[in-house]
Amino acid sequence: MKNLSVCVEGKRIVSDVSLSVDPGELHIIMGPNGSGKSTLLSAVMGLGYVNICGGKVLFNGVDVTGLPSYERARLGVALAHQHPPEIKGVKLRDVALAMVKKHGCSDCLLLAKALRVEEFMNRDLFVGFSGGEKKRTELFLLMLQNPKLAMLDEPDSGVDIETIELLARSIEMLRARGTAVILVTHLGVVAEKLSRIDKVHLLLDGRLAYSGSPDEVLPVVMKFGYRKGLEVLVKKNAQGS
Amino acid sequence: MPREARRVDVEKALEKPAPYGPDVDLSKYRLEEVVVEGVGEVVDPGVSSAAPRVGLSADKLAYVQANERVLYTTLARALSKYGVVVTSTREAAERYPRARELIWRLVDPASDKYTAAAYLYGGEAGYFVYVPPGTKVPLPVYTCLAITSNNVVQFAHNVVYVDEGGEVNVVTGCAIPHGVYSGLHIGISEFYVARSAKLTFTMIHAWAEGLHVRPRTTVYVEEGGEYVSYYVTYSPVASIQTYPVTYLEKGARAYTASVIASSKAGVYDIGSRVVLKGIGSSGESASRVVAKDESKVYARAEIEAHESDTRGHIECLGLLLSPSAMISSIPIITSMKQGAVLSHEAAIGIIAQREIEYLMSRGFTQEEAKAVLVRGFMNIDAPIPPPIRKHVDAILDIVAKHAVG
Repeated sequence: MKNLSVCVEGKRIVSDVSLSVDPGELHIIMGPNGSGKSTLLSAVMGLGYVNICGGKVLFNGVDVTGLPSYERARLGVALAHQHPPEIKGVKLRDVALAMVKKHGCSDCLLLAKALRVEEFMNRDLFVGFSGGEKKRTELFLLMLQNPKLAMLDEPDSGVDIETIELLARSIEMLRARGTAVILVTHLGVVAEKLSRIDKVHLLLDGRLAYSGSPDEVLPVVMKFGYRKGLEVLVKKNAQGS
Repeated sequence: MPREARRVDVEKALEKPAPYGPDVDLSKYRLEEVVVEGVGEVVDPGVSSAAPRVGLSADKLAYVQANERVLYTTLARALSKYGVVVTSTREAAERYPRARELIWRLVDPASDKYTAAAYLYGGEAGYFVYVPPGTKVPLPVYTCLAITSNNVVQFAHNVVYVDEGGEVNVVTGCAIPHGVYSGLHIGISEFYVARSAKLTFTMIHAWAEGLHVRPRTTVYVEEGGEYVSYYVTYSPVASIQTYPVTYLEKGARAYTASVIASSKAGVYDIGSRVVLKGIGSSGESASRVVAKDESKVYARAEIEAHESDTRGHIECLGLLLSPSAMISSIPIITSMKQGAVLSHEAAIGIIAQREIEYLMSRGFTQEEAKAVLVRGFMNIDAPIPPPIRKHVDAILDIVAKHAVG
């Protein structure tokens, strides 16, 4: 993302964000509700409801800013949506099979088992799914895309501890395959389960307010919250320099 | 009801338009003589070309009718080892006294001009299927009615009798080959389901822009019997109008499902009426309409309870795929007895943009996403057996692609 600004219905939600993620890296974007985290991911994915009103999205050096989402998906960009739509009549199996046809998959059965989605393969997509079932299904579909960049939008909200363990293991699996991961969270629960985080970014009021190592940022944010935590981090940095 | 007794009434009915659907001028169409070819192989290229449009292959057909030429295959003979009779209604009337008792008993020839014309001018082409008591027919009975030349009227009078405890799956494909663009199909269907018997009837229509289609169907289900109907139409058509009626006796059940994918300037007036006559009977009607271009669809459904302890439910869902299309959903529930529980739901919408976007983010193009959503929308969990489900699913895959262009 290079100086990326994103507007929704004419209103600027994200301003001037620059961020890059290398293969196999895991970056966490944290911020309070309404800070623009989901909007930022939607812009990178190319969803229609957001409008890039400044800057660029570059993927493997190629400017994808003007590409529709399906072309980005084909290049290797994938998003696990925070609130996927309930799609009546369309079975999870049908979508999964169509995706396997598109992207190919050597371990999809294993994935389905690992993420415990086998049992709802014949159910309408997301219809009547619990919070955990939705998150697991989203991750399953994302992994079927075999992405180079996986963006996970609050996979840890509204789920039980077992699902969080499962999500963390899946994220590790993605990274082991060389997938770059951007994980958005405002709780940071899943962050505690991950073995190596490369960077933590704080997004406040649509701006990337701070970027640092997890050891530096996470304890402060967990203790002071976002705004106060940011003040503490900036102050510490100023004292350090 | 003897024919002669009502001949005057029927002749009068030639001037009687149907209560629904555009009126068709019958004099514009050429009438052909009925020719019963008997047992043979399907060699008519028109049939071979039309059958795949409704998911049928010529080698699986037991009964074939091209215009007014009738043929049954060796498969019809193979079914005879189960005691099943598959023949033309004309021959059945000549050979079996019981068949004579069944013909024109459920459908009143004086109903409208189409039934009247079939009664007066039709030569009783159409299939006759009889299933003996307790016989569960292991093979579906595939039949095909094709119009293979222009400007003809095709009459088909189909009679099915499933005797006590018997079970059968009848699949009928009605289609035209490429190159046929005008005609009129009048189908009379009279289905009898005896005590504790079951009939699953699947009908798939693939016509063309200049075709008018007027099926007239009545089903009578005796105590504890079951009737399942699954109807799919997906091609352009000038007009199609049908409002089949199913009468249910004590403890009998009916499930009718219709999938209508309309296009061009066609008028599709398609309904289902279920009459709960007996205590403990139940009926369910589900329809899915996908309308595009300038087509107009009237999706009618009616459940009428005449007894207590009966249940009925109607579900009519529609999806508009273009700004000029029209869907009118008309569910009617009528109860004449306390203790009947009837309900309906109807909804018409468009494909949700959010759902399209979601699938696009998974790598589907906009057209692919629409096709997935339309295909999903058309899914009806009807109680049809797996081989028929497979057949219907294959057709619906084609229908979904067709519907989104």
